[in-house]
Amino acid sequence: MGIVLKVEHLKKRYGQLEAVKDVSFEVNEGEVFALIGPNGAGKTTTLRVVATLLTPSDGTVTLGGFDLKHHPEKFRERISYLPEEAGAYRNFKARRYLEFMARFYADTAEKEREFLQRAESICGLGARLDDKVGTYSKGMVRKLLLARALMTRPALTILDEPTSGLDVINSLEVREIIKRYAREGISVLLSSHNMLEIEYLSDRVALIDKGLILDSGTPAGLKEKYHAENLEVVFRSALR
Amino acid sequence: MKKFTHLLKKELRELVTKQLVISLLFTMALFYFIGNITKQEARKAAGSQKISVLDLDKSDLSRSLLGALAAAHFESVPVAAADSAAAVEACRKGATNVLLVIPAGFGASVAGLDPLKIETYAYLRNFSIMGVRRSEIVKAVLGAMNEYLSNNVIKERLPDIDPAALKNPIKTRDFVLIRDRMAEGTASSITGIVMSQGLLIPVILMMMIIYSSQMVISAIAMEKQDKTLETLLTVPVSRTAIVAAKMLAAGIVGLLSAGIYMLGYKSFMSGMTGDMQAGAAGQSVAAKLGLTLSGNGVIVLGISLFLAILCALALATILGVLAEDFRSAQNLIMPVVLLVMIPYFLTMFTDIHSLSPPVKILLLAIPFSHSFLAVQNMFLGNTQAVLFGMLYMLAFFLVLVFLAGKIFSSDKVLTMKLSWKKKKKLNF
Repeated sequence: MGIVLKVEHLKKRYGQLEAVKDVSFEVNEGEVFALIGPNGAGKTTTLRVVATLLTPSDGTVTLGGFDLKHHPEKFRERISYLPEEAGAYRNFKARRYLEFMARFYADTAEKEREFLQRAESICGLGARLDDKVGTYSKGMVRKLLLARALMTRPALTILDEPTSGLDVINSLEVREIIKRYAREGISVLLSSHNMLEIEYLSDRVALIDKGLILDSGTPAGLKEKYHAENLEVVFRSALR
Repeated sequence: MKKFTHLLKKELRELVTKQLVISLLFTMALFYFIGNITKQEARKAAGSQKISVLDLDKSDLSRSLLGALAAAHFESVPVAAADSAAAVEACRKGATNVLLVIPAGFGASVAGLDPLKIETYAYLRNFSIMGVRRSEIVKAVLGAMNEYLSNNVIKERLPDIDPAALKNPIKTRDFVLIRDRMAEGTASSITGIVMSQGLLIPVILMMMIIYSSQMVISAIAMEKQDKTLETLLTVPVSRTAIVAAKMLAAGIVGLLSAGIYMLGYKSFMSGMTGDMQAGAAGQSVAAKLGLTLSGNGVIVLGISLFLAILCALALATILGVLAEDFRSAQNLIMPVVLLVMIPYFLTMFTDIHSLSPPVKILLLAIPFSHSFLAVQNMFLGNTQAVLFGMLYMLAFFLVLVFLAGKIFSSDKVLTMKLSWKKKKKLNF
């Protein structure tokens, strides 16, 4: 299993504030890697750096051999990012929105059709795809955006709190979609507050707090190491 | 290029909404409607004017006077009343706005060169431009009557002398000079033409700048508000293409919208100023003085306007980054509006050369000033000033585009904001 993403000693400062102090991790091919931690731990900042939205203050980030600082455009060709509070163009019909996004990645019309078929299958919105996004519920928008993120089968999918603000049913459906596509070999970098979700989806996790990685490993390995029943207890023990 | 076209289509699709189309059509129809009504009113005012007349004299002279008024395009409507008070009351709800009361014995008093006073009553029924203009009829009526009476007296007393030569013994030949060009005519005869060309272009420019800037700022603010900007910034397309597509789309829609607005506005203005336009003589004088735009002049002016719009779009792009949401975008348009209004009014109401040096420098530092001054400068043959203005605007635009590109390629596109609200704690 090759390494898709390698983050080494990443630092990110906003003026005097050091949001990420020293973060290093790797994401392997076909692996779901999760960052877990409290608010302000540096999860979203790390994900935004990998997504090319923020420039690192220090450290290196490489994806498929390309360095982020020098080749952000190569990153963008290979990643797909779903922010925590993402939206879609409200005046667009959902199908038109997917077409719009697919065209940035598809070289041919055939490829575009393939992406769209996959997106339809992922979101399961059926005939509602012909409705305007403005008429969608939060859960429907999230499924649409998840479909947009996964339809191109990127080298790395970055999901920031993918079920944030969703009800139980929608959360379950979104988790099922991520799990299904992860099984098919897509690499995922994930962040969440929800430890149960992380345990269900992730192959490996990193515990992050105050901009530093406290520990990392498989959920089972961490639970064994900290003699804990679940990841919440693992996190609390790691903080001590 | 394919991705840029793709982005451009998306931006156009977002800008051209049903609401925009309806609003544009409605405004155009409104301008056209008001313009037509105004035009009709102006035509009425320029045509034969009805005035009420109470002739208590009924002498040959009073009848001749009324005949002279008819020759001066005034239609007399006789009022059946015993005295002026009754006539005033009778006309109060009438269709005319002027009442003329010729007193009994007026003819005899004129013969004795001690004329009795004619009473005039002007009914101001509203204070619109047309309404106020009607009151001017009184002056015109009296002018026509005085002209008739004085001419008659001169003809009686000095039959060999032309009354016009006696009343206006000084004859003039008028010339107008603009730099090295000279033409025979009066300055007032060309005012209409210069005004019509010099007034319309700044109005078009002002509307274009404000409209396009508003669209760019709102487009960026909406991306932020709807949380679509972050996703857009991570797709494989250059940030320059994202910025350029937004600017170009706003420019295209701004141009079309301004064009539609101006069609309506032109119809409105032709109604308002149609009767003030200079005639063929004025056109000829203006042409001799070089006060008409040649084909090359139109191209230069077009480039100047285009550069001003580019500057506005680039400035709006930077301001758009500062907006947190659509509401704050409405406030952020204010700097652009101010930068447009200041040169618009200053160039319209003052002579730039009479301004103090600091004010003049400040005015010329605003890129839009050069476009507002372009028409005047071209009429006055100040080609160097026009070219300097264009170069300045180009440099200003390039600096702003460089800054906008830097901002969009950095964290600032997400972190830079101007908030009037209390600062919130950052969530990492």
